[in-house]
Amino acid sequence: MVELDIEEWLRYPKIDMHCHVWNLANEKEEQVSSEQLILAGEMLGITEFWCSSPIIGGLIASVEAVREENDTILRAIKRHPQHIRGMCFVIPGHYQMALDEINRCLDSGMIGIKLYNQYRINDPAVFPVIELAIERKVPILEHAGYLHAREDLDSQPLISHGEHFAEVSARYPEAMLIHAHIGGGGDWEHTVSAMRHGSPNLYCDVSGSNLDDGQVEWAVAEMGAESVLFGTDGTMTGSVGKVIDATLTEEDKSLIFWKNAERILAAQGARPTQPREVVG
Amino acid sequence: MNFFDLNAWLGVWPFRSLRDNTPQTLLARLQRAGIKAAAVSQIEAALHRNVQPANEKLAEAVEPFKKQLFPMATINPRFPGWEEHLRRCHEVLGMKGVRLFPVYHDFAADGIEARRVVGACAERGLIVVMPHRLEDARQRHWMDPGQTLDLNQVANLIEAVPGVTIAVTNARGIMGSALWQRQELRKKNWFFDLSLAEVHYVLHKDVNRMRELADFIDEGGADHLVFGTHTPFSYPSAARVKAAVLPVEPETLKKICWGRANQLMRLGMPE
Repeated sequence: MVELDIEEWLRYPKIDMHCHVWNLANEKEEQVSSEQLILAGEMLGITEFWCSSPIIGGLIASVEAVREENDTILRAIKRHPQHIRGMCFVIPGHYQMALDEINRCLDSGMIGIKLYNQYRINDPAVFPVIELAIERKVPILEHAGYLHAREDLDSQPLISHGEHFAEVSARYPEAMLIHAHIGGGGDWEHTVSAMRHGSPNLYCDVSGSNLDDGQVEWAVAEMGAESVLFGTDGTMTGSVGKVIDATLTEEDKSLIFWKNAERILAAQGARPTQPREVVG
Repeated sequence: MNFFDLNAWLGVWPFRSLRDNTPQTLLARLQRAGIKAAAVSQIEAALHRNVQPANEKLAEAVEPFKKQLFPMATINPRFPGWEEHLRRCHEVLGMKGVRLFPVYHDFAADGIEARRVVGACAERGLIVVMPHRLEDARQRHWMDPGQTLDLNQVANLIEAVPGVTIAVTNARGIMGSALWQRQELRKKNWFFDLSLAEVHYVLHKDVNRMRELADFIDEGGADHLVFGTHTPFSYPSAARVKAAVLPVEPETLKKICWGRANQLMRLGMPE
């Protein structure tokens, strides 16, 4: 078995398509936080982060509160245009106001939509958001995981999992839907397998604090390497390490670390903030 | 740089099929990640009442690999005759440490059973390893207790038993743990491995708590770190990536990745 060259893999360019910049007490703290994120990423070859600031806990917050979160992301993009890109968080139940917020954020430079656990991805309340994403050719990243312990489900009763994504993917095969963090908690084998017959536009990302061996290979075996994205959700070294260690071809890893995200950007006429060949 | 993995395993986990869980395949997998040697115990012993058959099986399995795989005994202090298990594992089977599973063998990490067995290990000069978690509780099977080790109890245990050496593996939240927060324990012999904690960035809304191991090291915690991967539960290269970006001097990194485990287990392996 050939020994992995960890240092070389750290220089390999990567796009982290699942990360966050938080709405903090003041802009100075926000700056410190995003600078630390970028610094940590540079050590690992991560050149850009697709960030959102979702309202968690299933809370149906006000439209104004949602807008404030997205303004945090817009400020971060303005501070670090080479490294931070935005995913617009909305609560689909706000209906027209959610659609207006998506258009505002996309017109201001964001490149996708972030949904949390206020609604399952297959809830009809989400369909107008999906239809707008199709029209604007942007991806939707939704918080997800196959939870089954009672206390976990009690805290997130409307969390989406692979079966919900598969259903919506069949209804909207042209929608770029991303099941967030297969390492984010829950039965990753179950949730990934449920998506094995999804459309080519159905993706999962490998982020999350769970570093179970075989997770990345399972996603590739069930969904195809073109459908697996590199993300960290803040577990930076762990997520980089799991893809490096996965028993996949270099081409598969190249798709996961970079090319799949690049293809998602290309659909809306965008490119990575830095060309892949100059990284590292 | 040489790497010694204090946190590797052989055997079967009943709720998920693990790869590379035999001595040959584990060793090959670790070597692919640049790791030369490891401490191992038998996973299923965590779920057995009488652990000794699993310890015997482990000793036999690693015998052909005795320069690379070092067996650690699993001891269940609630089972009659655990003292004899410990004696045999140490004196006859040559085991270099002990792993304890308070969650799975159902005892408090600071209770009387834990104090007795940890005290016995201290008398023998054996390191005690306690996994913070074997698997992420959010995916647990309904038959798995799915609880994490109580680090407050571990702190109490360290305080209560003189001369003990304890390593907690596969943990996050090191900075906030009682082991670090209780200042009087900072000079004691306790360690965390690198298998799960992040280094320079974690998601946190307090900007003073968004660096995990980097902050721990800044505050003087490097002497409490040791290399471990949690293979074959986890990907071994994740810990290698953490080591690669750990903000310490090269000599300190050598200690963390090789020398410390060598010393704690009294292996006498060359640097």
